[in-house]
Amino acid sequence: MWAAALLAAGCYSGASADTDADTGTASNPTATDSGDPTDSGDPTDSGDSDTAGDAELLPQTSRYPRLSHTQWENTIQDLFFLTEPTGFSALFIGDPVSGGFDNNSEALKVTATLWTDYQRGAEQVAELVASDPALLAKFAPPTDGDSDAQATAFITSFGKRAYRRPLTAEEIARHLEIFHAGVATPGELAAFPAGVRLVVQAMLQSPHFLYRVEASEVPDGTKIRLSGHEIASKLSYMLWNTMPDDALFAAAADGSLDDPKGVAAQAARLLDHPRAHAMVANFHYQLLQVDHYSDIYKDPVKFAAYSAELNPLLASETLKFVDDVVFNDGDLATLLTAPYTFVNAKLAPFYGVAGDFSDDFVKVDLDPARRAGILTQLGFLMANAGAFENDPIHRGVFLNLQLLCSNLPPPPNMVPPLPPPVEGETLRERVDRHTGKGTCGEGCHGYLINPIGFAFENYDPLGQWQTMDAGKPVDAAAEFSLGGVSQKYDGAVELAHLMADSDEAHRCYVAHFLEYGYARRPQKADDKFIATLAASSKSGTHTIKQIILELSKSDAFLFRAPVEP
Amino acid sequence: MTRKPILSRRGFLYGAGGVAVGLPFLEGLQPRKLRAAPPERPRFAVFVRQANGCAQADNGEPEQFWPSQLGAITKESLTADSDRAVSELAEFADQLLMVRGTRFAFPGNGCGHSGGGNQVLTAQKVSDDPSGNLSLAMGESVDNRIARELNPKSNPEPLATYAGAMGGYINEVLSYRGPKDLRAADRNPWSVYTKMVGITTLPEEVIQQIKTRRTSVNDLLKEQMSSLMSSPKLSKDDQDRLQLHFDAIRDIEVELSCQLPPQEEQDAMAAQMDYSGQDDRMQTIVMMHMNLIALAFACDYTRTATLQIGDGNDGTEYLLDGVKFPRYHQISHRIYSDGSEGDPIPDALGKHHRIDREHARMFAHLLQRLAMYTTDTGTLLGDSVAVWCNDLGAGVSHTYNNIPWVCAGSCGGFLKTGQYIDAGDVTHNKFHNTILSAVGLTNVEGNFVDDFGDPELEPGVIDGMIAV
Repeated sequence: MWAAALLAAGCYSGASADTDADTGTASNPTATDSGDPTDSGDPTDSGDSDTAGDAELLPQTSRYPRLSHTQWENTIQDLFFLTEPTGFSALFIGDPVSGGFDNNSEALKVTATLWTDYQRGAEQVAELVASDPALLAKFAPPTDGDSDAQATAFITSFGKRAYRRPLTAEEIARHLEIFHAGVATPGELAAFPAGVRLVVQAMLQSPHFLYRVEASEVPDGTKIRLSGHEIASKLSYMLWNTMPDDALFAAAADGSLDDPKGVAAQAARLLDHPRAHAMVANFHYQLLQVDHYSDIYKDPVKFAAYSAELNPLLASETLKFVDDVVFNDGDLATLLTAPYTFVNAKLAPFYGVAGDFSDDFVKVDLDPARRAGILTQLGFLMANAGAFENDPIHRGVFLNLQLLCSNLPPPPNMVPPLPPPVEGETLRERVDRHTGKGTCGEGCHGYLINPIGFAFENYDPLGQWQTMDAGKPVDAAAEFSLGGVSQKYDGAVELAHLMADSDEAHRCYVAHFLEYGYARRPQKADDKFIATLAASSKSGTHTIKQIILELSKSDAFLFRAPVEP
Repeated sequence: MTRKPILSRRGFLYGAGGVAVGLPFLEGLQPRKLRAAPPERPRFAVFVRQANGCAQADNGEPEQFWPSQLGAITKESLTADSDRAVSELAEFADQLLMVRGTRFAFPGNGCGHSGGGNQVLTAQKVSDDPSGNLSLAMGESVDNRIARELNPKSNPEPLATYAGAMGGYINEVLSYRGPKDLRAADRNPWSVYTKMVGITTLPEEVIQQIKTRRTSVNDLLKEQMSSLMSSPKLSKDDQDRLQLHFDAIRDIEVELSCQLPPQEEQDAMAAQMDYSGQDDRMQTIVMMHMNLIALAFACDYTRTATLQIGDGNDGTEYLLDGVKFPRYHQISHRIYSDGSEGDPIPDALGKHHRIDREHARMFAHLLQRLAMYTTDTGTLLGDSVAVWCNDLGAGVSHTYNNIPWVCAGSCGGFLKTGQYIDAGDVTHNKFHNTILSAVGLTNVEGNFVDDFGDPELEPGVIDGMIAV
């Protein structure tokens, strides 16, 4: 109950944001950063507002989610049957950090600079594919008839794949004009490829290509049902990060996707395909902030066993474990508690596992009394520790924000530094003295951050098991409120099992997957669906794969809300 | 097939080292009608941002940044101040205007770096939501204002460049279109260069064909966008999204008639196509962006530009004299940590000072490039103001007081250079009002700009910066 009360009020009571240490005036603000490498995902309000009214509403969403640069690159490759990505998107201007996942449709816009990049990219692609007869034959195969008939056949077939829906007769006619304009400006190309080049150049800059357009406007009760082709794109970009394949187009065309069962069947097909592994990896890479592993640094004197070449190996370990759990029908509890991992010769010593290892990763069982799931593996532990010592504060912040969706407010602007260590004082004692109960950091640290972080004190900054700190036995016991009840635990293994049995962790994980899958922040209207899925995840009814499949069955996936005036 | 002459038909003069450089704007820009009271000739403003504060007197640490005396600064005085970071700029002493005594008006919201970055070029409040490292500015930035009012229509955006890693914690911080509308920045010099030059180096016949094709495409795109935008069932967010996209569709007819960089410079930029923020390339990329900014001004591609060096709390491991320094953010904290706990970094203050000097030397490179382009009355630097700034005052305290502003160039004689002044603890919107006035903008009455930044702020300029 403590946590809930604190969250509602904002849990810290630090120094006023607008007072200055030097002058004491209100007009000279001073700010200290937290050094906080976590983002405030804050995906949902914990599902506490399941009112009857909310249950009827769909979230308000964009009808024009833009392709991410990764999706642009994947789509170009598939559209032209290329054997590898063009790499042209590497020079596109990036998108500002928005805090969510990198496909957050609310943050992806076409600015003047990006439009110039799209123009250049479209022209490069068009030149590439139209000037190579072998490539041309793949996406614009020869057809019978006169020049216009051939052009029309190309526009019709290619246009459906580029715009991810059939073109109208008016659109075909209008693109035929573009084709003619291309023929009239051939440069060194023959007539047909010159026409194709300009049609490609145009289509790749079109809003119908750059956005996953939801054009449907026909009401279905209080909702608007997405068309089969819109569902096909939504599914494909959610599960494969690219355009629909032929089978999805066929399902859209034959009406299969007008039926939720047909949608579910296609979702299952896509998820069983090897391409889905990249999606699962990408989601967890962002959720677990695996990109931070590349910044891991340890003092070479104090930790001679560390070298920077470990960093990419840690990322591999994490992603191999995630892939193994998800595609062997594991659930969130497995992810949080399974006592095994993947190591090679360089990582094995940190776990103290004996054996004959090579550069290749192999699955190894770990001591279940010491290791439980993703949070006791090396990547998380090393990335959330300093160069010299552990960092229980940031381990605690990470879990609160990324895995429990605690609504931690930002830290106060003035954070005094951690006091110097006193002889014989453990890190836990020092952190407690600085931020624990009875200090001005008590609100957040005393009840939310430190109790979680202290559970990991049995692991040193390299993730190795330790039992002593400053000459004293490690104290990794703490208590934390889960499900409104204060839960006691001793160490990260017990904490991991408590989390695996908590509403908070399941709700948070589901909310994050919804955010990634739907390419938008969760809204209040998603709460009921998230709570239902979370309950199934907690009870063991739903594996992670089943959670992903369920995302394709919701009203929020199959319909959109009418736009409120 | 004839090649389009790259050298201008118009007169061209000679830059440093006898390199011929085109000078299109002497004639080429005369007819352009400015919406504000036009200066006699175009003026330019570039903002180069260093992160993490500077090693100035603060929090018990000694002064190692500013000159030792307020007032006139000369090559001799700066040389004598050899223990100060700005002494690296002694060669440009008569063109310098250093301004201390300004502060950001508003507190950050959970992250000092983000809050400072939000304010440095905007003088706007920091957003309540999002907060922390994701906080945003609540209004447009000074470069956006300049571009919005003065840029050629074919290029409505200010040039926004970035050097360094993008770690995802805080990336771009500088340029805002409006409230919470952060502009992304271009990190790759080759991408910037090729966008700027476009098709101008191609043979004339090819250019005409490309232009014709682009016109056909753009006509179609505008039709498609208009059709989408005509739906009455669009949310405000979608309306704004589509409008931004629609406005971006344009005929890019910037025909750069200034001379392009020598082939070896082009090759060097092309060789950086794979750049993705590697620390050991930082200085190389910074200087390439500076070359491009000078070129962009010389060609009147844009009237304003930003260059962000390092991410929000620059974590670059600078390579200085062959020695790899610890992460700069940690140096600014004086400890081996991005937070508040960690062991001390030996001579962290000295290291911070050396990084300040490195930024000064990089800034000097920009000044050299701007000075390389000569005009009938001086150099492009004289028609510009180059600003080296920081989004914090000092490292350890993360103070928003005494933000360092080092300007170079009088912006056509508007700014009073060759001096180091104390603005008197004023909010920094007045600094930007002065810069906006320097590039030729006015308020609605035709006087100096006085309305930049949050409306709660006291209006006005910094009189001591103004020569006239």
